[in-house]
Amino acid sequence: MGHEYIMLFCFFFQLFARLEGRRSLRDIEPHIFPDGAGPVQGDVVEFHGTEGSGKTETMYHLVTHCILPADRGGLEVEVMYVDTDYHFDMLRLVTVLEQRLGEDAKGEDSGAAVEPEERVRACLGRLFVVHCSSSVQLLLTLHYLENTFCSRPTLCLLVIDSISAFYWVDRSGGGESVAKQEANLRKCSELLDRLLRDYRIVVFATTHAIMRNYGHSAQADLAAMTPGPSEPSSSSSSWRQWSSSHASNFDKAYLSRAWQRLVTHRVLFSKGEVTKDRKQVFSAACTTTSTRGTKCSSFCVMEGGVQFL
Amino acid sequence: MVVLRDGMCPGLSEELVVALRAADITTGTWTNFAFQALLAIRRVLLAQHTAFPVSGADLYEDLLSSTAILSTGNPSLDKLLDSGLYTGELTELAGGPGSGKTQVCFGVAVNISYQLKQSVIYVDSTGGLSASRLLQMLQAKSCNIEEQMEALQRIQVFPVFDIFSLLGCLHHFRCVGLQQASAGGGSVKAVIVDSVSAVISPILGGKQNEGMSMMMQVAGLLKTIAKDFNVAVLVTNTVTRDGNGQLKAGMGQTWSHVPRIRILLQRLERPGSTCSSVRTATLAKSSRQPCHLKEEFDLQCWGRSEEQLYGMSGKRKLENTEPS
Repeated sequence: MGHEYIMLFCFFFQLFARLEGRRSLRDIEPHIFPDGAGPVQGDVVEFHGTEGSGKTETMYHLVTHCILPADRGGLEVEVMYVDTDYHFDMLRLVTVLEQRLGEDAKGEDSGAAVEPEERVRACLGRLFVVHCSSSVQLLLTLHYLENTFCSRPTLCLLVIDSISAFYWVDRSGGGESVAKQEANLRKCSELLDRLLRDYRIVVFATTHAIMRNYGHSAQADLAAMTPGPSEPSSSSSSWRQWSSSHASNFDKAYLSRAWQRLVTHRVLFSKGEVTKDRKQVFSAACTTTSTRGTKCSSFCVMEGGVQFL
Repeated sequence: MVVLRDGMCPGLSEELVVALRAADITTGTWTNFAFQALLAIRRVLLAQHTAFPVSGADLYEDLLSSTAILSTGNPSLDKLLDSGLYTGELTELAGGPGSGKTQVCFGVAVNISYQLKQSVIYVDSTGGLSASRLLQMLQAKSCNIEEQMEALQRIQVFPVFDIFSLLGCLHHFRCVGLQQASAGGGSVKAVIVDSVSAVISPILGGKQNEGMSMMMQVAGLLKTIAKDFNVAVLVTNTVTRDGNGQLKAGMGQTWSHVPRIRILLQRLERPGSTCSSVRTATLAKSSRQPCHLKEEFDLQCWGRSEEQLYGMSGKRKLENTEPS
């Protein structure tokens, strides 16, 4: 008999969490996401790009926006940050946070009683960081985090940086069978699906771009550029010129289908050119399942974080 | 998946494991069988194997009190690195043959062991470590033979020549801790691996995945060692050219995400000088400074004494905990 009461209790707990509703992140960053199509409860945003293309900086920008208090223009919600490859740089996040807090305080009178360090600590109290060192540990941690989501209704964002960190280790560990190779990520995706449905959270995940896209579009453009069959050497060099300048060279989706089905918003990051005053420009192209077309934006990374152009 | 064995946690007795096996459950999946017992076992196994969230404020406090910045001994490199190598991070030096990576590693090791009086673990995979060069660098800093020997003793060398011995070495560090691994005594503050590409490049390529998997295992171990033991990890890598002819670090796209800071070393092409020891260092990846900063430095600066270089004593940077 006892176990039925436990199940009933769990059911009601989940019901209350669902009814209370978590904060929507629709307006979190109008520069990146198309109008009216920002991430709402249950959405999964994937940040995809090569190394040094601005994914982590954008993540810090969004996380800062979430944990800032409401009187500083933030959303004042809690964030769970799952770090899979020891990539998380707390000192950098605090620099961005201090800059955001500092520039908003200039408009206030100097009679503010709260110290800047106290404000930073108060913001950091809304951030939780977990390190996972293998895909099995990631799966078990997501199981454990279910309780945390249940007991904290202000926890509405789960960040996984990055979800592709165990790709090669899993692929080699699974031997010849593709199903075995993708098994852990598939289970993680199924668990995330359940968490998204039950607790109405938003998930941001970064994936590294490590696979070249030698796709259909590559062939079509190559045919247009090839001068003729009598000049094979110049055609190969023009292909190389084209492929190195093409922005979507590395955007092949290589993670398991279960993960790709979950993703509702995909943002592709790439490095642009360097401006005259030696600033590196990055660009982000966002596609969603609910809108057509791509929303493009560009930004620079300054001392105080991401600045959109 | 974790295989269930008896004694793994309280409540998981031999009879229960046999009964589960009879129901064809050998790994930790969920059923309705003996509900309460399984609930308890699940709770304990999760507690043993999951990672626990830490509050951001606690993590920040921890980091402020434990992060140290280790000077490399060369002011130009220090400027690029924002005053030195940070503990808890992986820094990469990439350069072609003869660009000075090994010399920079020697210089860093000597500076940490002599100036900062901390131990260094040097994993040598190319056979390029020369104790006489280390001694030469130390002799320029001090005339006292005892001090030189003490500083040399703080540099512990581990020769590895293939990927398996490198993995074994790193696993050994992780299991027994760096204090036990370094016989020289004192606290280890840096682990230098020269070079990572020498053992990994031969196993990459072809249609097999084991090479990539072992490369990511090395990356994971190095980062775990850096974070858990609070040391600065410095690795060296080769370079290749990308489609535009620009220099980039070797070992492919997957490895490029691994280091936190990357510096590219190049020879300076000066007309008229054939054998120069001047190199340029370019900051290719950094979380603290804008990229593409360039500095020139002389490889011989570690072989000269402090007075010859600046005419004042060098500063100890070990107490710094916050980047300015």
